[in-house]
Amino acid sequence: MSDTTKDTTMADSRVLPGQERYVAAPDAVKLQEVDSVDESAPATSMWADAWRTLRKNPLFIVSAILILCVIFVALFPGVFTRQNPNFCQLEHSLEKGSPGHPFGYDTQGCDVFTRTVYGTRTSLSVGILTTLLVMVVGSLIGALAGFFGGWIDAVLSRFTDIFMAIPMLLGAIVVLQMFRTSGSVWKIVLVLTLFGWTQTARISRGAVMETKNLEFNTASTALGSTPWRNLMRHILPNSMASIIVVTTTSLGTYIVSEATLSFLGIGLPTTTVSWGGDISNAQTILRTDPSVLFYPSAALAITVLAFIMMGDAVKDALDPKSRTA
Amino acid sequence: MGKYLLRRILQMIPVVLGTTLLVYALVFALPGDPVKAMFGDKPINAAVAAQIRAEYNLDKPFIIQYLLFLKNALTLNFGNTFSGQPVIDEIGQAFPVTIKLALMAFVFEAIFGVIFGIISGLKKGKWYDSVILIVSLLLISVPTFVTGFLAQYFIGVKWRLLPVTAGSDPGFLDLLMPAMVLGSVSMAYIIRLTRSEVSSNIAEDYVRTARAKGMSNGSVIMRHVLRNSLIPVVTYLGQDLGALMSGAMISETIFNVHGIGFLTYQSILKGESNMVVSIVTLLTLIFVVCNLAVDMLYAALDPRIRYA
Repeated sequence: MSDTTKDTTMADSRVLPGQERYVAAPDAVKLQEVDSVDESAPATSMWADAWRTLRKNPLFIVSAILILCVIFVALFPGVFTRQNPNFCQLEHSLEKGSPGHPFGYDTQGCDVFTRTVYGTRTSLSVGILTTLLVMVVGSLIGALAGFFGGWIDAVLSRFTDIFMAIPMLLGAIVVLQMFRTSGSVWKIVLVLTLFGWTQTARISRGAVMETKNLEFNTASTALGSTPWRNLMRHILPNSMASIIVVTTTSLGTYIVSEATLSFLGIGLPTTTVSWGGDISNAQTILRTDPSVLFYPSAALAITVLAFIMMGDAVKDALDPKSRTA
Repeated sequence: MGKYLLRRILQMIPVVLGTTLLVYALVFALPGDPVKAMFGDKPINAAVAAQIRAEYNLDKPFIIQYLLFLKNALTLNFGNTFSGQPVIDEIGQAFPVTIKLALMAFVFEAIFGVIFGIISGLKKGKWYDSVILIVSLLLISVPTFVTGFLAQYFIGVKWRLLPVTAGSDPGFLDLLMPAMVLGSVSMAYIIRLTRSEVSSNIAEDYVRTARAKGMSNGSVIMRHVLRNSLIPVVTYLGQDLGALMSGAMISETIFNVHGIGFLTYQSILKGESNMVVSIVTLLTLIFVVCNLAVDMLYAALDPRIRYA
């Protein structure tokens, strides 16, 4: 007891006799407290961390609100307009906006507002479905190539190169000229996926190769886990960040591609209401009435802009290295 | 370097073969019938259809068809169009126009993209940085054909600054607006890329070291920041040169430029599968060669990249 008291007093005197600089007494800094981890708190994963960053990012908040609005319009177009987008009366052709028809009418006498509202679903489903398919196909092919290496990698990589060498729009045109008049949204989705998966595959291959050699994977193998289980449970989830970043950003590109194909007249059939088709129809009257072109274009631009901003925000959150000060 | 180049060219061969096979298969082996497409809405004449099938070797097994196509393609014999003109002649007429257009777009996007990107990256957070950023985001999210219509309407029709359409034998001024429209999306990507590269490089240790040595601000930026920032930009530009050729379709259609894109689009409308296959094969080859050139350039620019 007396010994402890003596130590404390000496520590309080800052410099111990015979010593030139201050050395903290063993109990002055409670190492155990500093090092201790509050194990009752939930573990923060990379995703939780990213979510915390995202929540505070104004770019994310704005784009998330925009995207939610667009999704709502796509799901429930009937909330915004009571009219049928294909109900057109030539007597209204190119009439200006009036109450109940805020955007006016196009050449065929269709209500531009109604058509813009109903076109949302087409563009959005093309974007989202293509992104999901590209993510599945691309990450799977890339992961198999990166994980197994050797001849599997060689074959899959050359296969990827072959598809990559064909520019997306050009490839899509070649395929679609065969099925010009028929088909639904799925036709476009499949074609865009066919020429769009390569970038994701490359990135996923790189990410998997990088993750494959990390310690937790060796540990998992040592514990008797099979390669397949390793790939599915450990490697793919850990490579997901870079895959998600690249696919989110390209969602907007797919929407633009669909519009471009519809503009060229080989996208969706004219019976499907889509922004691209409407913009294409409006081009003939651009010089007399630019407003018919304006509304579907603005809707398209806002949607794509929202997804690009979302992609930027997600990229910042998932990859702190790229975070800009 | 020579060895690396040789290996890359050897690697390119299976890719080119695979790609041409894929394009060929997409056009001629898919469920759609190209011969039926040729007739369009008209009733099919069996004798004519059989003759066309024989002419394009469509009556032979698929792989033979492809090999014959390849053999002919090597001698630049791509067959004839419906009106009897050799495909290669039409391509030869359209090609110089597209090259001119693509090069103009390339110069436009390279100069303005890099300049605005540097301004924006060096002065992050200033008002003009925000303006540049917003404009580049808008250019990316508005489809090229809308940008094209707007440019045509305002610059061509309303303000009468530049010709509205280009026509068959376009000069520099005729192609200026189509080229700007064609290059606008890539310019926006280059701005974003340059901006993020410059702003991340400016915070690097070697920049601080250079400043600590007493180097002037100008030479720090020129010698250290820009040199390191522009490597990925150069890569992007190189890949884009190939992509511009195939992306020219929209711009050429809107502005009536009689180049490769215009020809492709017309051929698709007319159902000239032979022409489409030939053009796509050529464009794909250009794309692959551009990518190879980029890899070479990349290796030359960045000594950290070994020729592995």
